[in-house]
Amino acid sequence: MIRVEDIHLSFKSPVLRGVSFEVQEGEIYALIGPGASGKSVLLKTIAGLLRPARGHVWIGDVEVTASDELQMMELRKKIGMLFQNYALFDKTVGENIAFPLERLFDMPEDEIRERVAERLAAVALPGIEDRIPASLSGGQKKRVGVARATIARAPVVLYDEPTAGLDPVTSQKIYNLIRDEQRAQKSTAIVISSDVAGVLTIADRVGMLLNGRLIFEGTVEEARASKHPAVEQFVHGKTEGPL
Amino acid sequence: MKAALLSLPTQVGVAALAIAQQTGGIAIMAAQILRRLLPPKIDRVEFFRNMYRMGVQSLPIVIATAFFTGGIMVIQAAPIVQSFNATHFVGWAALFTTFREIGPLLIALMFNGRVGANNTAELGTMVVTEQIDALRALAIDPITYLVVPRALSMAITMTALVILGDFFAIFGAIVTADVMLDFPPASFMNHGLPMVEFWDFQVGVIKAAFFGVMIGLASCYFGLATTGGAPGVGRAVNRSVVASASGIFITDYLSTFVLA
Repeated sequence: MIRVEDIHLSFKSPVLRGVSFEVQEGEIYALIGPGASGKSVLLKTIAGLLRPARGHVWIGDVEVTASDELQMMELRKKIGMLFQNYALFDKTVGENIAFPLERLFDMPEDEIRERVAERLAAVALPGIEDRIPASLSGGQKKRVGVARATIARAPVVLYDEPTAGLDPVTSQKIYNLIRDEQRAQKSTAIVISSDVAGVLTIADRVGMLLNGRLIFEGTVEEARASKHPAVEQFVHGKTEGPL
Repeated sequence: MKAALLSLPTQVGVAALAIAQQTGGIAIMAAQILRRLLPPKIDRVEFFRNMYRMGVQSLPIVIATAFFTGGIMVIQAAPIVQSFNATHFVGWAALFTTFREIGPLLIALMFNGRVGANNTAELGTMVVTEQIDALRALAIDPITYLVVPRALSMAITMTALVILGDFFAIFGAIVTADVMLDFPPASFMNHGLPMVEFWDFQVGVIKAAFFGVMIGLASCYFGLATTGGAPGVGRAVNRSVVASASGIFITDYLSTFVLA
């Protein structure tokens, strides 16, 4: 279970202003909201990559916000993360995906190779181990990112805008992939997205951030039926409204 | 006018704070590196990869710099020694200044431009493309994985390049003396080398090690402190090169007193 409690974080101006929510084990939680509402910052805070000025984050029994960098290193072995800009390293696709296993787990090379091939097959990109990320399209890079985020079979996976800049078909394929992964691994996932229509097809519950505040939390049906002006406008993509 | 005058102390204050922040940041980075070296936690693959990139691939530019530095020293010294009818001093003058001062200084500046700037750009790009965050998210310490091998490689390769450069500087000086002054290589060696002490050579090597550490720390610090996307990478490289060059001259100034 992931518990976020009263998170406040500022850079030059406040970004998160008292965000609290819980994600149950084995759940896909969609965090939606317009650009610059604080979604990516919140996700990095949950992963312990940013320190909040106030508030607490727990993953399971471990308080992320009270852990130092060395303790976080242990916890992060149980977290997979997909970054908005892919964050693929200057290595081949195979080396990128194998990287967490090679660095963190004492695993034979053959097994790592098998796991990489299996991951690439799962993201529908079989046999591209030797390609370099620069030669891939945006959608392919995202899928390689998903493969890397899920190769260690982490119980918690965080996805930051997994479909940003992708066409609707590729986007839906990636959402389906996230759902299939979550079901197969029984993992807990938080998916950040501005693409409401797509992410709601796989989410169990939804939270909406606006100006650093969580203005809505509920099921997908509740989100679709919400009469909150900002939620209604954002979920249904209306041009008229407060946003 | 009044506003401009009023803003002057503010500007000085802001600049002083920035320098203090950068110096503090570099000192913290040095402490973080030391902490990981006691006991040594070095990524060997990254270390040897960087030794190759920073050392072996810098050889052509360092050899050219050293060769011409030796030659230039002969050209500069020639009119003076000739006017005193002391041509046999040309070897000593060229080697003494090259070993102690000009060799390490010019090679450090070349190394800063080639290796330091490249290192800052690489780390800065990794920051703005979230690769550093990705490393941390993958439970990999960026200091151990990226900074320690790079800083260590720069200190070692800079020292090694100056030692090698000294030999090419001698070669450049001999060739120039022979071609331009009709001063035969045998005379150059017989008169010049015995007048230069081994300590003169050692001073240059010690300086080179300090310069290497300086470039390593500054280039890694400014790379990891990059903010503001692609333009931020350009700014970080600029700051890194300027800070390293300033650090090289300040260290050189101080060490010249200490090692005199």
